[in-house]
Amino acid sequence: MAVWIDETGTLVRPPESASIEPSPLRDMEITDDLPERMRMMLTEVKKIPDMAEDYRAAIVDWVEHGAESRFALAPHEVIAASLPRPREHSRAAALFELGCHLHDTVGKDAAVPYWKQAHAAHPENWTYKRQAWTLESTPPGEASDMTQEVSDTYGTTWLDDVVALGGGDTYGIRPAL
Amino acid sequence: MILDTLTVDPDTFAAATGWESKPEGLCKGDQCVPAPEAATADGRLDVAAAAERLGMAIVEDAERGLFAVGPESGGRALTTAVVPDLPFTDADGNPFSLTSLHGRKVLLVAWASW
Repeated sequence: MAVWIDETGTLVRPPESASIEPSPLRDMEITDDLPERMRMMLTEVKKIPDMAEDYRAAIVDWVEHGAESRFALAPHEVIAASLPRPREHSRAAALFELGCHLHDTVGKDAAVPYWKQAHAAHPENWTYKRQAWTLESTPPGEASDMTQEVSDTYGTTWLDDVVALGGGDTYGIRPAL
Repeated sequence: MILDTLTVDPDTFAAATGWESKPEGLCKGDQCVPAPEAATADGRLDVAAAAERLGMAIVEDAERGLFAVGPESGGRALTTAVVPDLPFTDADGNPFSLTSLHGRKVLLVAWASW
């Protein structure tokens, strides 16, 4: 995710996905010897729209033309282009923050009930889910488990939820360029 | 915002939420919401009353005596395009302020390894 901030400290674009080069995962060959769920995950990853080239070009245009760039929005347009926030999303944010606080001060088990509620309150929020899943499936000090498949605690996975929410082509917040 | 009481100093509330107590109400950017019931007699802020006015959800962990207050709701995620002076730490552990970059364009990228 990224935001663009002009010389006065004002946002000129709302938070949005910010890739400037295609993910190498897109180039991975889906071979028969891969586990089935990994094949399914890669299939969904390859569906995620690749806007890297257009996004990089938009940044360059803004750097060159500033407020005259067609990609730079006025303050009221930035606000209008940010995501809606219903009360349930406020509740999800509170639940997630409480879970984070308890994770740090008490331990993971204390956080889990609140993170599960946050997931239910805001199912489209991948940050809430992936943070919780990663802590569940990655031993302390080890590299993140990309597959995030150990999910007895949460009862769902990245693949399950991506498919349930419409597939990889609807994943994330695509820049409206 | 994590609290152990729902009555706080207005400055504490402002620092955590961006909503400042002013004579016209609770204000953030160009937006002000009248909330006379949120001001207590001793100059503190009734968080439950302010939260009700601003559409902030409150979650309680009764066992540990904690409250979590969510962001304002009912509109868009952003209420202003002005970037707050968020506290950052640089690679050497020193405080870093975004305002130190005023006069230059900034691309602020948030990234996680998962």
